[in-house]
Amino acid sequence: MRQNAPDNRQLLVEHIVNGQTEFYRLAMSYVKNRDAALDVVQEAIVKALSKVDTVREPAYLKTWFYRILINEAMNHFRRNRNLVSLEEVMADRAEEGRDPGERLDLYDAIERLSLPEQTVIKLRYFEDLKLEEIAQATGTNLNTVKSRLYKAIRRLKDMTGEEIDYAP
Amino acid sequence: MHPEMERAKARYQAQETPEELSLAVRAAIREGDRLRKRRRTVRRSLATALASCACFVLLVNGSPSFAQAVYDVPVLGGLARIFTVTEYAVNDREHIIDVRLPALENTGHTELEQKVNQEISTRIQSVIDAAETRAREAREAYVATGGDPETYMPVIIDVDYEVKCQNDQYLSFVVTETEVRASAYTEFYTYNIDLETGKEITLRDLLGPNWMETVNAQVAEQIAQRAQDPENTYWTTEQGGFQGIREDQPFYLNGEGLPVVVFEKYELGPGSMGSQEFVIQTEQ
Repeated sequence: MRQNAPDNRQLLVEHIVNGQTEFYRLAMSYVKNRDAALDVVQEAIVKALSKVDTVREPAYLKTWFYRILINEAMNHFRRNRNLVSLEEVMADRAEEGRDPGERLDLYDAIERLSLPEQTVIKLRYFEDLKLEEIAQATGTNLNTVKSRLYKAIRRLKDMTGEEIDYAP
Repeated sequence: MHPEMERAKARYQAQETPEELSLAVRAAIREGDRLRKRRRTVRRSLATALASCACFVLLVNGSPSFAQAVYDVPVLGGLARIFTVTEYAVNDREHIIDVRLPALENTGHTELEQKVNQEISTRIQSVIDAAETRAREAREAYVATGGDPETYMPVIIDVDYEVKCQNDQYLSFVVTETEVRASAYTEFYTYNIDLETGKEITLRDLLGPNWMETVNAQVAEQIAQRAQDPENTYWTTEQGGFQGIREDQPFYLNGEGLPVVVFEKYELGPGSMGSQEFVIQTEQ
């Protein structure tokens, strides 16, 4: 394990540097605020690097880092749930007033899913993770991921009328 | 892939990324590396200390004259002065807690030892209690608002200490409490003890009556110097940056016995700068 430690650190740094844009976008899609997203990405990196010696298997580094990043984003989201800007409130009001028959754009519909459902959809379709990887990245088992994905797709269909393939 | 999903993905990928992202990433990597090294050094030095203690006991028992001799060697004598009094880890659904608490002994000042040890343990215990309550409330709120308890990510609390300076005259160490939730936040408490007088050292003791002016001038100079590097962004005084040190500004003594003043994250610049430390030169 000692022997692997420097390699894991190097692999993780490469993974972070190469994927920084994706990580920022994923964080941004949860926290919806530029500075908060930067903070989330930074905190995830600091935490991951300081604990990198606890990862034995280099193959898990990728999903392990996603897990930390999503965790940070969720925590941020939760902590700031009570602090909503006036603009957002007004935007939400406008949203509520729309014609119920009108179909939502798929992207907007995804944002209306619960956080765990959003996560499954984003990791599956935007980050192209396999279902097993999603299970590792969210710390759940494969069956939970499957049922969550299935439910999310059904809800998306209700909102948009679009039939998304379960496993494209 | 489904054409609508393609469009959604394109919209997702079209989110603009800020220019400073790569700087922020690099700064975070440096900070992460620093914390990682610290964790490893502390572990290693603790192992060395334990190994030395084992030999120590063995030899002391074996030879009374060796025991006499060893007390005259300051470094070995010093080993007995600070040790881990409590070490425990909790790992459950609400939180992951990792605690290593220091205590003093053999300083030759029993009253001071008791006072400092008492203070460390009460202070840290109340910090941990508060953190546990917050963790429990956060979890309850998460479940109450429809979150699946299985997916709740526990709060991570980490208490640790680092000995900064240990010699015949001074003992300086820093106790840190890190709580990782929305963002990692570290609180730290510094302890600086003069082993000769048995008192806590102040910056006034080290720098004389004009200590504030001395520190302010040196910190301002070092900020100006560090600001030359474009990766460092300090807030200006007007923006709420360096306003001069506080009466109770935390500091510790480094290996050379020089005071190092510490500013918390966000005190002098954006969060990406982390906490900032400045070594202050004394006149001697």
